Amino acid sequence: MARSGARAVGTTITALDRQAAGVSPRGSRRWSSIALVAPAVLIALFVVGGGIGFSLVQSLGLLPLVGEASLSLDAYLANGDDLVRGIGLSLAIATASTALSCLIGLTAALVITQGRTTGRVVAGLSALTIPVPHLVGAASVGLLLSDAGIIPRLFGIPGTEWPDIVGGSWWIAVVLEYTWKESAFVALVVAGVLASRVARYDETAALLGASRARRLRHVVIPLARPAVIVSAIIIFVYTLGSYEVAWLLGRPYPEPLPVLAFRLFTSITLTARPEAAAVAVVTTLISLAVVALGMAALRRTPLWK
Amino acid sequence: MNSHHPARAGLAASLTLGLVATLAACSAEAGASSEQSYESWDEVVAAAEGQTVKLWMYGGDEQGNAYVNDVLVPAAAEQGVTLEQVPIADTPDALNRILSEVQAGETDGEVDLVWVNGNNFGTGKEAGAWECGWTDLLPNMALTDPADPLLLDDFGTPVDGCEAPWHKAQFTFVYNSDTVTDVPSTLDELLDWARANPGRFTYPAPPDFTGSVFVREVLYSVSGGYENVPLAYSEEAFEELTPALYDELTDLAPSLWRGGETYPQNSNELNELFANGEVDVTMTYGPATLTELVADGTYPAGTQVLTLDEGTVGNASFLGLAWTSGSKAGAMVVANLALSVEQQVAKAEPDVWGQFTVLDLDQLSDEERALFEALPTSPVVPSYDVLSENANPELAAAWVTPIDEAWRAQVLAR
Repeated sequence: MARSGARAVGTTITALDRQAAGVSPRGSRRWSSIALVAPAVLIALFVVGGGIGFSLVQSLGLLPLVGEASLSLDAYLANGDDLVRGIGLSLAIATASTALSCLIGLTAALVITQGRTTGRVVAGLSALTIPVPHLVGAASVGLLLSDAGIIPRLFGIPGTEWPDIVGGSWWIAVVLEYTWKESAFVALVVAGVLASRVARYDETAALLGASRARRLRHVVIPLARPAVIVSAIIIFVYTLGSYEVAWLLGRPYPEPLPVLAFRLFTSITLTARPEAAAVAVVTTLISLAVVALGMAALRRTPLWK
Repeated sequence: MNSHHPARAGLAASLTLGLVATLAACSAEAGASSEQSYESWDEVVAAAEGQTVKLWMYGGDEQGNAYVNDVLVPAAAEQGVTLEQVPIADTPDALNRILSEVQAGETDGEVDLVWVNGNNFGTGKEAGAWECGWTDLLPNMALTDPADPLLLDDFGTPVDGCEAPWHKAQFTFVYNSDTVTDVPSTLDELLDWARANPGRFTYPAPPDFTGSVFVREVLYSVSGGYENVPLAYSEEAFEELTPALYDELTDLAPSLWRGGETYPQNSNELNELFANGEVDVTMTYGPATLTELVADGTYPAGTQVLTLDEGTVGNASFLGLAWTSGSKAGAMVVANLALSVEQQVAKAEPDVWGQFTVLDLDQLSDEERALFEALPTSPVVPSYDVLSENANPELAAAWVTPIDEAWRAQVLAR
C-alpha cells in the first residue's frame, strides 16, 4: 500500500519535472542519483553476489576439488542429521541472544535517556563495550566462567560442582557473551532514537496527566519499537552466522551452523567442501528469511514510513 | 514501469559478473606450472638468496614457536633467506590454503613450507598440493637413515621426496603420580582405571590430532595388538574391527569427565584440564615439552610419563613444500638447514623444544654424536629409546577419516 502510494507520488513528481524542464523526457536528476549510488551497489553485488553464487555453485557439486562436476543435492543430504540439529541449535542461540539483548538494551536505553548520573554511567559502559571484539569477549567469558575459571576459584568452588556454563549442554556462556555485547549495541541505538524524540512527547503526555507506566506503554515503547526491531534483525543475523564465540565457548556436539560449516570446510576429506558450502547456503537462506520477516514487522509499526 | 528497468538490468548484470569472475578465477587451472627444476644444490642456494619463506605451522606450542623464531629464523637469515613463521590453529588450514591456491592457479602462493604429516600429507599429495622429488638435493638428507621406515612412509603414504623429515614423535600418556597410585601398565588397564575413577579421564574429540590417535590406540588394544589391524585401509577390515572399538568407547563414556556427555575440543583443552587438576591423565605427541611444563609449575609436580607394555604409536613429522610456493629454492635451503646437526641438537634440547631427532646417529661423526649424547636427561621424560620401545606403526591415512567420522556418529552423537 505505502509503496504503491510512494510510487504514485514519484510518478507525479517526475511528470511535473518533465513539464517544468520541458527538455529531457526522463529528467537528468534520476540518472545522476542512479550514477551516484551505482558504484556502492555494484561493489556490494559483486562481492555478496559472487560469494553467495560461488557457494551455491559449489554446494550443488559443480566445482569439486577432485573428480567430475555433476549437478546434485548430495552435499545438502550428506550431513542431514547434523544439519537439522545445527539449524535448531543456531536458531535457539540466536533467538535467546536477540531476546535478551533487546530486553536488557531497551531497559538500558530508558536509563540512559533519563539523563541522570546513572544514565551517563550506563551510556559510558555501553560505549566502552562496543569496541571490544567478540573474540576477546569470548576468551574473557571463558576465563571467568569455565570450570576452573577465575570466578569459581575466587569462591573456592571445585570444578565438579560448578555448573557447566562453558561447554555445557545449554550453551549459556555463548548466549551470555552475545547478550553482553549486543545489549550495549541496542542500548546505544535505541537511546539515540529516544533522545531525539521522546522528551517532547513524554513531557506532553505528563502534562496531560499520564502516569509513568502509561507513558512507558503508550509513548516510549512505540517510539522505540522501529529501532528495537532493526537492532534485533542485525543481532539475530549476526549471531546466526558468527563462528568464533560458539566455537570457543561451545562443545563439539551438536554444532551450530557456522561451526559445522567451518569444520567441513577445513576437513581433510576433499569431498567435504561442497558440504560446507551447502551449510553456508542454508545459513544464508535462514538469514534472508529472518530479514524479510523483520522488515515485514517493521512496516507494520505506525512510525515507519 | 519502464524506469525500473535499468536498475534491475544492472543488478542482474553485476550478479552475473561477480559469479563469472569468481568462476573464471577458479577455472584458471593448473595449466601454468611454477615448475623450476634445479640440477644441483649450488643452483638452489644461488636462487634462494634473498627469498622470503613462509613456514605455516601449528602455533599452539609456545616452545615450538620460540624455537622457530629465536633459533631457526636467525640461522636462515645467515644463509640469505628470510624465514617467517605463520602460526595456525590446525594444519588443515595450511593445506586448505594451498588447495584453494592450486584451484585458482596461483604460482606465488602464501604458503611455502608446512609442518605436516599423516592424513594432511596424504590428502595433499592426492590433490597435488606438494612439490615432490626435491629432498634428494638436500645435502643433509645424507645424515638420515635411508632405510628408516618412519621416513619412507608417512602414515602409509610413500613420502617420495615430497617432504623433508623434521622430527620424530612418540605418542605418550602422562599421569599425575600424586593422584594415580595404582599405575596402569597397558591401555586396557588404563581404561579400567578410568572406569574405577569416574570423571578423572577424558580424551580430545577427534578429528583433533591427539584425540584421533588415542582412538586408534584403543582400536589396537581391543583388536589384541597392532599386529591384528591391517595398516592399509579396507572397508572389510573397518566393518570387522571397529564395532569392538566403538562398543568399548561407548561403554567407557559414562566414566569420563562430565560423564562423557561432552569432550575437550582439542588437546589444549585436555592439557588445561590436566593442569587444573580436573583430570589425572593427559596425552601428547610431544612428550619432550613435559619437562619444561613441570619445571614452570604449569603441570603438577607429580607428573610422570606412563609407558605401556604394548608400546604406543610413533611417527615422524616433516616440512612439506607447497606446489604453489614462489620461493621453492629458499624453502629447500630452510628444510636443509632444519636437518643440520646444529639445528637438530638445538631443537632436541628440552628447554628449547625437546623434539626427537630424525638423524641417524650412526651416520654422524664422533663429535656430532657427542652433542646428542650430551643432551640433559629429564626427571619426567625417559629417553627416546625407552619411549619408542615396541613402537606401534601408524595406520594408513585412509583409516583416519572413517574412524574419526564414525566416532562422531556413534560415540559423540550417542
